Amino acid sequence: MRVRRLWLTDFRNYRDADITLGGGFTVVVGPNGCGKTSLLEAIGYLARLESFRGATLDTMVRHGAGSSVIRAEAESRNRELLIEAELVPGGRSRCQLNRQPVRNGKELASLMQVSVFTPDDVLLVKGGPVHRRRFLDETLGTMHSRNLALRHDLERVLRQRNALLKQAGGRTNAEVEATLDVWDGRLAEVGEELAALRSQLVGRLQPVVGDVYGSLAESRAATGLTYRRGWAGDLLGALKGSRCEDLRRTVTTVGPQRDELDLVLGDLPARTHASQGEQRTLALSLRLAGHQVATETLGFAPVLLLDDVLSELDERRSRRLVGVLPEGQSIMTTAGALPEGDVHPELVLSLEAGRVR
Amino acid sequence: MGVYTGPVQNLIDELGRLPGVGPKSAQRIAFYLLKVDEVDASRLADAITEVKAKVGFCDRCFNISQGDNCEICLDDRRDPSVICVVEEPRDVVAVERTQEFSGRYHVLQGAIDHLQGVGPDQLRIKELIARIGAENITEVIICTNPNIEGEATALYLSRVLDAPGLTVTRIASGLPVGGDLEYADELTLGRALEGRRRIGSGE
Repeated sequence: MRVRRLWLTDFRNYRDADITLGGGFTVVVGPNGCGKTSLLEAIGYLARLESFRGATLDTMVRHGAGSSVIRAEAESRNRELLIEAELVPGGRSRCQLNRQPVRNGKELASLMQVSVFTPDDVLLVKGGPVHRRRFLDETLGTMHSRNLALRHDLERVLRQRNALLKQAGGRTNAEVEATLDVWDGRLAEVGEELAALRSQLVGRLQPVVGDVYGSLAESRAATGLTYRRGWAGDLLGALKGSRCEDLRRTVTTVGPQRDELDLVLGDLPARTHASQGEQRTLALSLRLAGHQVATETLGFAPVLLLDDVLSELDERRSRRLVGVLPEGQSIMTTAGALPEGDVHPELVLSLEAGRVR
Repeated sequence: MGVYTGPVQNLIDELGRLPGVGPKSAQRIAFYLLKVDEVDASRLADAITEVKAKVGFCDRCFNISQGDNCEICLDDRRDPSVICVVEEPRDVVAVERTQEFSGRYHVLQGAIDHLQGVGPDQLRIKELIARIGAENITEVIICTNPNIEGEATALYLSRVLDAPGLTVTRIASGLPVGGDLEYADELTLGRALEGRRRIGSGE
């Protein structure tokens, strides 16, 4: 999968830009605030119909403009894709694939895949379990768009069950019990399926994360990934067992929304014991491992977007990162210089204030 | 957005409360109505007044109706022993268009959706249970939408509709007729595979 050409109209600080990208390793350079991350954000938007920075539509539309257009010429599985997205804050945003309307993000996700690393990804190691669950689910979604629907279903069922618990307000009656039975059944079905996928993914990530971390850090420190389910036994039984507690606390206390992915570095929990540099390298290793596993499943590489990754690493690790970049299209932004030595990007894009120099 | 002179702003506000109409559309419709002939505007106003005055819900099935009972409930040729349960009156129209169903209906007037404050109590479920005993119903076909809320409603109904001699069925999910497999989305195709049925005889 690769994006060949990108047109941005009124997107972030781009008024009207036409950008040709390399098929291999592209480096995007330029001063702070010139639009490097925005370029990656635009490509990411086409794959997911949302910003990986969590930005709302009105922040993505150029100040003073009513709407933005992101347009890309891409190629996937030998198929030519023309993807066009119009971002309309407070209105109807649209997306077209080869001039045909796209109904939802899932449809697009089955054609356009990206792996994204951002400086915020240090939270994968340092932050709460929600970041690690999201990482697993994002990777699953890149591997198969069906997994996005599963995650979406889980969220809806949970929201419904929690709303019911709130409305019950700690009291229960035959109707509440019968309705809870219904939601428990759905939650167990969706939850068991998602947990099985997460657990399988962690099994595949485990050796890859070790390899990637070892070659980036030139370290023999063992990395460990352990997936823990947010319940014991079967989920349906666990939900029944926690019903009183759930009614009292008006929230669902067991299920995949409580799953955890424990990260260990050299026998110690990485979240509390690893240094800042180790945490950053481990976070990057997780993303690169996710990219590799997704590549194996898809049979081709998603577009790898690396935002400001070099600022996270010292000179030696930076050099090694460039050395271990996988085959396929990767686009890396940097505000500083490229590491010295044997670094040969296919293309260096030099940006200034929303245009290509 | 600025505020227009009293009556105009009231109209915009009222239009904006309609489903699917945002503030911009509300404004556009309001200014359109200001421009049209008085006759045309009155016709719209009359239509709204008339529908509210003359049309209500059927006492038995809660479909829309001009009298106490809807046309379908009053039609003697209908099979009295089968009920098709749907969420909304517009779903009755959809099932009627198939001309495949000759029983009567029961409109729940929604689906279980706690996020909108709709639990089983807010739906016409008690009335449905009462009908089953009173009308000697032998089959209930649950025709709620195949989404999270519709499926939950179907599952809830399958639990509470428990009477001797009563069959409860759920409509199948599957592929649109006349479509191509290659263009089917994978969830629908997956469901269709799950619900496959035998066509050859061989044992």
